[in-house]
Amino acid sequence: MDAFALELRGIVKTYAGGVRALDGVDVTIARGEIHALCGENGAGKTTLAAIAAGRLRPTSGSVTRAGNAGFVPQHPHLVDRLRVWENVLLGREPRRGLRLDERAAREDVAALGATYGLPVNPRARVETLDAGAKQRVEILRELAREPALLILDEPTSALAPAESDVLFDVLRALAARGTAVLVVTHDLGDVAAYAERITVLRAGRVAARFERGAQPAAIARAMIGGELPALAARTSRATAPCFEARGLEAGSGAEALRGFDLEVRGGEIVGIAGVEGNGQRPLADAIAGVAPYRGTLHLDGRELAPGRPAARIAAGLRTIAADRQREGLILDWSVLENLALGDQRRAPLGGGLTLHRGAMRDRSASVVERFDVRAPSLDARVSMLSGGNQQKLLAGRALAETPRLLLACEPTRGIDVAAAALLRSRLIEARNAGVAVLAISVELDELFEIADRIVVLFRGAGAGEFERGAFDRARIGAAMAGVRGR
Amino acid sequence: MTRSAWAALAVLALVGAGATLLAGANPLAAFAALLRGALGGPQQIAETLVQTASLLFPALAVAFALRAGLFNIGADGQAVVGGLAAGLIGAAWPGAGALSAALAGGTLAGAVWGALAGALRARFGGSEVIATLMLNILAGLLATYLLSGPLRAPGADGPETATLPASAWLPLLAQDTRLSFALPLAVLLALALQFVLARTVYGFELRAAGKAPEVARRAGIDLGAVAFSALSFSGAIAGLGGATIVTGVLHRFNPALSPGYGFIGIAVALVGGLEPLRIIVAAFGFAILQSGSLTMQAFAHVPRDVIALLEGLAIVALAARRAFVARAPVPP
Repeated sequence: MDAFALELRGIVKTYAGGVRALDGVDVTIARGEIHALCGENGAGKTTLAAIAAGRLRPTSGSVTRAGNAGFVPQHPHLVDRLRVWENVLLGREPRRGLRLDERAAREDVAALGATYGLPVNPRARVETLDAGAKQRVEILRELAREPALLILDEPTSALAPAESDVLFDVLRALAARGTAVLVVTHDLGDVAAYAERITVLRAGRVAARFERGAQPAAIARAMIGGELPALAARTSRATAPCFEARGLEAGSGAEALRGFDLEVRGGEIVGIAGVEGNGQRPLADAIAGVAPYRGTLHLDGRELAPGRPAARIAAGLRTIAADRQREGLILDWSVLENLALGDQRRAPLGGGLTLHRGAMRDRSASVVERFDVRAPSLDARVSMLSGGNQQKLLAGRALAETPRLLLACEPTRGIDVAAAALLRSRLIEARNAGVAVLAISVELDELFEIADRIVVLFRGAGAGEFERGAFDRARIGAAMAGVRGR
Repeated sequence: MTRSAWAALAVLALVGAGATLLAGANPLAAFAALLRGALGGPQQIAETLVQTASLLFPALAVAFALRAGLFNIGADGQAVVGGLAAGLIGAAWPGAGALSAALAGGTLAGAVWGALAGALRARFGGSEVIATLMLNILAGLLATYLLSGPLRAPGADGPETATLPASAWLPLLAQDTRLSFALPLAVLLALALQFVLARTVYGFELRAAGKAPEVARRAGIDLGAVAFSALSFSGAIAGLGGATIVTGVLHRFNPALSPGYGFIGIAVALVGGLEPLRIIVAAFGFAILQSGSLTMQAFAHVPRDVIALLEGLAIVALAARRAFVARAPVPP
């Protein structure tokens, strides 16, 4: 273990505009080592990962790599229209004469998947895959180049817990073959389990280094430079009927909803637990009004007509979309304009012919402050913000005013512990203010923290309901796995 | 201008010079002839400004639709029906208000032509590219049919309307030229569109639908309504352009009134970054190329096609620049 796969010395990176993302960082990774790089949003993790991968040049400092580096980005960079094997072998297709040897290509990809324990269907079109499968394709694409170092940016942010465990097994197997692995993450629960060494970045510098077995709490303290703030307290309150779904059928295939009933009262957080792909997406899309469904939805006693997102917004529904970059935010737009989306036709932002810039600024300033969105300015493009700040923006928009029903889909996906704690507190505060909150999350721990009631979704139907005070990890886990019985 | 914009210009200049050399002429002499033809005197400048107006309307039409994510390649057809309506109304209108009626009629006709494509898109999800392209052909056939058959002007020997009475002419901006109030009208329209896009609720929804339809849909924006209205407005702008050519330049309708302006307008819109105010500048630049190219051909013996080559390359350079900028790393 004396040979280094990667050696970074005195890395400084200053972006145009004078933002110093990294300020003298040293990191070395040995062959066969799994190394975790932790830090808050904006600590410089992604920049350092890009430099390690050779995708970005440091302003100063030296980068030494033993071989080539593979990079798996947080958001999949795949060609959606192409098939899995085409994506994996893009640019390195096996040939027979001038022609593409498609059969050999498919077999290569299947064999590669089997070697690394990453099962994929080489013929599937990427656009039909879920987040976990897309990530497997992405990892395979990098492994096909036989890198000496594999870098993964927030690899667990889109995965269900069971899928994360599979991923860690894959990474361990990879390390055992001598490949160095650098995982950029904020997910501290897992870090201690698989990483041999941990580097914590804070504000562009190394704040601490840990070895395997470190306490997650100690890592978290190093990341935020202090203690995590406590979650907002839940006040006791009177609840009132607010939202009701009856006999909901939506979606198709394995994840279709098959006759789902649900009630969410004002002043209550109902958590939908379940392994990803058990009907969460059809449920969210039906409530948001963006996909067809059968059954009825009522908000405050009025039926929501299918296919009318605008009518739902007018009735008081606000949504934190599951996929912030595809469904929630316009990355090319400013913070200011993104925060007006959805309310452009209502006072105080709209209502007349023109948008009220003053009201937009007031709202944006307030959201940015309440949700601690770190943006260079209100006119900065959202694509310039880190994933965590984008998520805070998305949640802040949904809670800019007090909605009747908040549909929160994976509200803290892919963000660091401090940001997640802040958003969870805001959800609890919304509940205290009488909002009906429906939180759909594959992170059971998150629902334990915030939910008043947990409904388990399994194969498109309710598979159990648990009141706060009777949350039982074993029983909920069994329900999520489809094991019946009391 | 940014470094990449200068680089793009340099590439264009080099390719232009190379093509001119290949054609057996001196690039500097060709460039001088081009400038002389476009800006060499009051008459040349006036003619370049006439071209500016003629390009500005279709460019604004294309840009407006493209901001909504819709590709209107039918600005020519919309200009033809707009010009046809303006010609028929202008020729037949009794008494005062002929000009206003002709312009309004042309705008409305263009809007209807755009709305046809918009309705297909909104109702059935049909591609607006195919629809507007086909409607170009239909517009020409419709005009030829009407003017050779039911609405044939007495004594006309082609599919033309009678010459409009002077009451239906756009007033001239400069005497003894063809430069009319079409240009200030086009510039005012650009200002209005800039305001609509940047400041109004409608413009906000249109831009959202164009940038990220899935996000827009979830924010309660009716994508079908945006497609229908954006293509209708786009057609209206192009139709008004056709009407200004009839009332300001030709003083009669002729089906060839928009010789490819709609297509050059696409290039103008893209070079202008789809921003109405920048499109004014881009239209002037393309107008110089257009109006100078004849002089260049006549005096420097360089085929006009070199200009078409440069216009095409401008788009390629622009696309390359976008791809280049998109690949640049983004700070976290």
